[in-house]
Amino acid sequence: MTAVTAVTDRTDHDGGEKGARARVHPDAPASRPDDPPPRSDGTASRGDAPAQTGADADADADADAGTETEAEVDAYAHADAEGRPRDGSQWDDGLIARRATDEEPAQQATQTAQTGQAEQAGQTAQAAQAAQGDLAKSGPTGTQIVFPVAYDVPLRSRLDEFRELVGVSRARLDSGTLAEAGRVLDEAAARRRLSGQHTVVALAGATGSGKSTLFNALAGAPLSDTGLRRPTTATPIVCSWSDGAGSLIDRLGVPGRLRRRPLEGVEGESALRGLVLVDLPDHDSAAVQHREQVDRILALVDAVIWVVDPEKYADAVLHERYLRPLAGHAEVMFVVLNQVDRLPGEAAHQVLDDLRRLLDEDGIAVGEYGEPGATVLALSALTGDGVGELREALGRFVAEQGAPARRVAADLDAAAWRLRSAYATGERSGLGEEARDDFAARLADAVGASAAGEAAERAWLRNANRACGTPWLRLWRWLQSRREPSTGRLILPVPAEEEATARQRVEQAVRTLSERAVAGLPDPWAQAVREAALHGSQGLPEALDGLAARATGPQGRPPRPGWWPVAVLAQACMTLLQVLGGLWLVAQIAGVLPPNLGVPALLMAMGIVGGPVVEWGSRLAARGPARRYGLEAEHRLREAAAGCGRTRVLEPVAAELLRYQEVREQYGRVLGMTTVVR
Amino acid sequence: MVTLDVRPQLLDALSALRDRVAAVRYPLPLAGAPRARANRDELLAQLDDYLVPRLREPEAPLLAVVGGSTGAGKSTLVNSLVGRRVSEAGVLRPTTRTPVLVCHPGDHHWFSGMRVLPHLTRAWVPRREPGGEPFPDGGDGRRVLRIETADSLPPGLALLDAPDVDSLITENRVLAAELISAADIWVMVTTAARYADAVPWHLLRTAKQHRATLITVLDRVPHQVVSEVSRQYGALLAKAGLGEVPRFTVPELPESAWGGGLLPATAVAPLRSWLTHQATDPGARHQAMARTAHGVLDSLRARMPELAGAAAAQYAAALRLTAAVDTAYDREHTRVKRSLQSGAVLAGDALKRWRGYPLDCTAGELLDALVESLAALLLCAVIAADQCVDDAWRREPAAGAPELTRRDPVLESAEHRIGMAVRRWRRVLEEYAEEEARDLGGSTTPDPEALAALVATALLGGRRVRSAGERLAELIGAHGALRLRDRGGRLLTEYLGRALRVERERRLAPLEALDVTPEPQVELIAALSVLQKER
Repeated sequence: MTAVTAVTDRTDHDGGEKGARARVHPDAPASRPDDPPPRSDGTASRGDAPAQTGADADADADADAGTETEAEVDAYAHADAEGRPRDGSQWDDGLIARRATDEEPAQQATQTAQTGQAEQAGQTAQAAQAAQGDLAKSGPTGTQIVFPVAYDVPLRSRLDEFRELVGVSRARLDSGTLAEAGRVLDEAAARRRLSGQHTVVALAGATGSGKSTLFNALAGAPLSDTGLRRPTTATPIVCSWSDGAGSLIDRLGVPGRLRRRPLEGVEGESALRGLVLVDLPDHDSAAVQHREQVDRILALVDAVIWVVDPEKYADAVLHERYLRPLAGHAEVMFVVLNQVDRLPGEAAHQVLDDLRRLLDEDGIAVGEYGEPGATVLALSALTGDGVGELREALGRFVAEQGAPARRVAADLDAAAWRLRSAYATGERSGLGEEARDDFAARLADAVGASAAGEAAERAWLRNANRACGTPWLRLWRWLQSRREPSTGRLILPVPAEEEATARQRVEQAVRTLSERAVAGLPDPWAQAVREAALHGSQGLPEALDGLAARATGPQGRPPRPGWWPVAVLAQACMTLLQVLGGLWLVAQIAGVLPPNLGVPALLMAMGIVGGPVVEWGSRLAARGPARRYGLEAEHRLREAAAGCGRTRVLEPVAAELLRYQEVREQYGRVLGMTTVVR
Repeated sequence: MVTLDVRPQLLDALSALRDRVAAVRYPLPLAGAPRARANRDELLAQLDDYLVPRLREPEAPLLAVVGGSTGAGKSTLVNSLVGRRVSEAGVLRPTTRTPVLVCHPGDHHWFSGMRVLPHLTRAWVPRREPGGEPFPDGGDGRRVLRIETADSLPPGLALLDAPDVDSLITENRVLAAELISAADIWVMVTTAARYADAVPWHLLRTAKQHRATLITVLDRVPHQVVSEVSRQYGALLAKAGLGEVPRFTVPELPESAWGGGLLPATAVAPLRSWLTHQATDPGARHQAMARTAHGVLDSLRARMPELAGAAAAQYAAALRLTAAVDTAYDREHTRVKRSLQSGAVLAGDALKRWRGYPLDCTAGELLDALVESLAALLLCAVIAADQCVDDAWRREPAAGAPELTRRDPVLESAEHRIGMAVRRWRRVLEEYAEEEARDLGGSTTPDPEALAALVATALLGGRRVRSAGERLAELIGAHGALRLRDRGGRLLTEYLGRALRVERERRLAPLEALDVTPEPQVELIAALSVLQKER
């Protein structure tokens, strides 16, 4: 039995090259792992024994499953809890309905356990049977060449893009988000390897809508049981109109004993060449496993015929759980209003119109007047009324052979669209020039660039004034400093400060920058940007400390401009004039020289007035260069800080943004849009 | 034999419980909150629409609500029972959008008032001429209950045609559930095509859970298969533990099939006579009523703790949210204090100013730079705390409440508030310095601004600037310097704490506005236990 179980695993998608090879020859399912050639006579004969036991088990399991099926009315609620929680909560909000879920949990648990077992056994056996059936079938038809599905170029490239996108995103998004995408890709790849001449169409609908009756009407033979017992059909039944569809049906997991051929010689049999019709169980009965089967197979078929009846066409379950999520699949969808014979005269048209309206509200494009969309028909499978029309439409549909590609395209659209929140937010993103400038300005604030510049300017000015001041002033200052030696008045020897940069401002700058950068980014990518910024900001304050020390530290005394000596000389001249005038005056008073008060007084006055004038003039003249010097010092510090911030924070953040941008563009290409998705 | 003796104490306890249930709210979007809200509404509706009026006035007519899936033929059934078209029937689904209540003209007063179903506006159509304009619509979004009278119904019985329980229109579903909750007798209609559907089974199981008086009608059964379908349905019911539920089968008849006509009286005769019996026979009537009423009373024992549990979960979630805010702000507060001690404020601009002081920089400029730096430190702390809170809240489903996610542009206003606080601190500090300078008296009063700048530097520069303190001591003496520093330091701590507290409160304000308290849980349980005692 182990070999058989290994075969069942085949339904899991391994996607790798090995899986691909195994799928090309799917009619060797009983091959053991130690058999290198996947298909050989020896394998077949060896695989026979377990397959046989599997078939026996199948009979038992099926009987069990049958009784469970009609008994299983209680387990409906259970499926909601585990089956498809999101969809379930969407429609199953009936207040009364909701309450009943916690009833008799123990009973339910045992029942589900039983059914679980039965189902497992059934599946195993089914797989075994599938093996058997295929071996039998592939004998004569094995030589038939199967043309795989040909996806057109845009679809192929979109699939490739999507695969790449998923691969790129693995590092950022969790696997749960990407699971659906991975499934779609796997299914697309799996379908591509299988026959493109066949179109798998499922008949889906509520219990009692007449799916099986329609199935039989299309096949022209009573292949599927119809009945009054609800629910009637418990397992899917397949009818294939032409050969070579074995591997396709294997993919659905339908065992050989449930595979049928249409009645030979029925008119229209050739018109439906390539059709593989699947009669599904209901999706709304209290039997949970029916719905699970429906959900499983609906994901694998190429097209669906939804069979509704006048009583149930507006059921919330159908619309909210199935039709709305599948709105994008309108092109591979038929909606058939069955049992019109139960409606009097005009009422059929009214109901059909109402059905169209509901479909429209569900977002399903109704294909009218040659537009692409779902085909909506009214018919009666019982009387045969309108079945011909459906047969015709199906015939055209199957002959086109475009359904598999369209289905995959619709799946791709849906999967990509569902990932929208992970890739696009509808807002503009990216770092503007303004944000970068703001970041630089904040860093400059943190190192105190403007204060440093001002200090430098003032120091320069001070030096200039001292240099160009009158010597008497210098003398006075010197005496002053002599008198009070050590207290504060002098420039303190600046110690090498450890934390010259304002840590809080750096932190704030980085935070503001990353907040601006993540605006309009989906969460996973925003997180990546934040991390990049945080990582970059580590060690940034220390770097800025060192930088500030270097930028202000070594060049010590400010440079002296060329006109300073001239000013000093002029100042000296003035002093000389004063001294000269003074001496002259003294000499006159002493009588050494002839008294001539005018000239020496004038000289001295010139010296006394000229000194401050020169000082004032040079102070005026120094203002410009001092300002320039201060600005330059500020600018130097500012640039250094900005450069440091750029390499450590801005560039990693920008790189992360660029990476996101690329992913988003790729996402846009996956969606098939030429413009960039916002 | 169940009895329905009602003491006034029980009624009091019940209305107290009703008020408690009406008062409880579930504002935080926890996983169980929508369900709890729905349960609360449902229970409230059941108390208002059914239990309280029924216990108050046991003599009021029995209300039989006809419910079921869309297209099950509920309206046709009601019309046929009444014998004339009172409710619209048709082929388009969903047909019944406005519920219709039919009663004997003598019972009209029981329903025209707001005794039961007080949330529905009454629309009473006195008596339509045959062929007149049919059925006015509720229109304008109000929920309407149309009341019809018919002599053909026995006195003491009212029929209510509810919308479908699985309607595509959500309001219909809600309304149907509400109406069914108001029933003395639940009439579940299903059809030959539907009897295995999942949704009606939910309803049946709920009826069983509530131990309501329940009957099922299997409608639209094609003639040929009546016995088979009926047998299978019976088997399903028996399996679900509903074997003893009265079952009626109505065949599908061509003349009545899709809207329009009425079923012949013979088709609904058994159902009609059963209902009539319930209404007219005092014993049967009492039993039907008491069974449902006691069922609801019993169900309270399970439903109230559920509501209380949800309320407790809300409170716990609110506590978690508050704790996240407190933790974040506490941590930032500690960090700010540590930064102050290490002199982080005296960095950047402020440090450059301090190095230049007093040669290249005035006291005012130094003070400006210090104050600005302090404001930056505080703002940084507040925003870091906010971000920390955001991160913590992102992991909490409860934080998704629209009231909590909708936030004012915090940054600017926080910057503004912190700026204000810091400037106020500076002003008070300057006043202290002036006082100190005045007290010093003497001829050479030091510049108060210089004093303020020095003391601010000493306070904010931490251990890095001993010289500031020394200079201060030189200017105003060691004693005065110490006093000034102490006062300034206390002031700083106070203003700092206050600024951060204000920000924390602002952050918590929306949560507090939701008013999630532990009381509802206690009150619900207390009300239930009072009720249990009175029974």
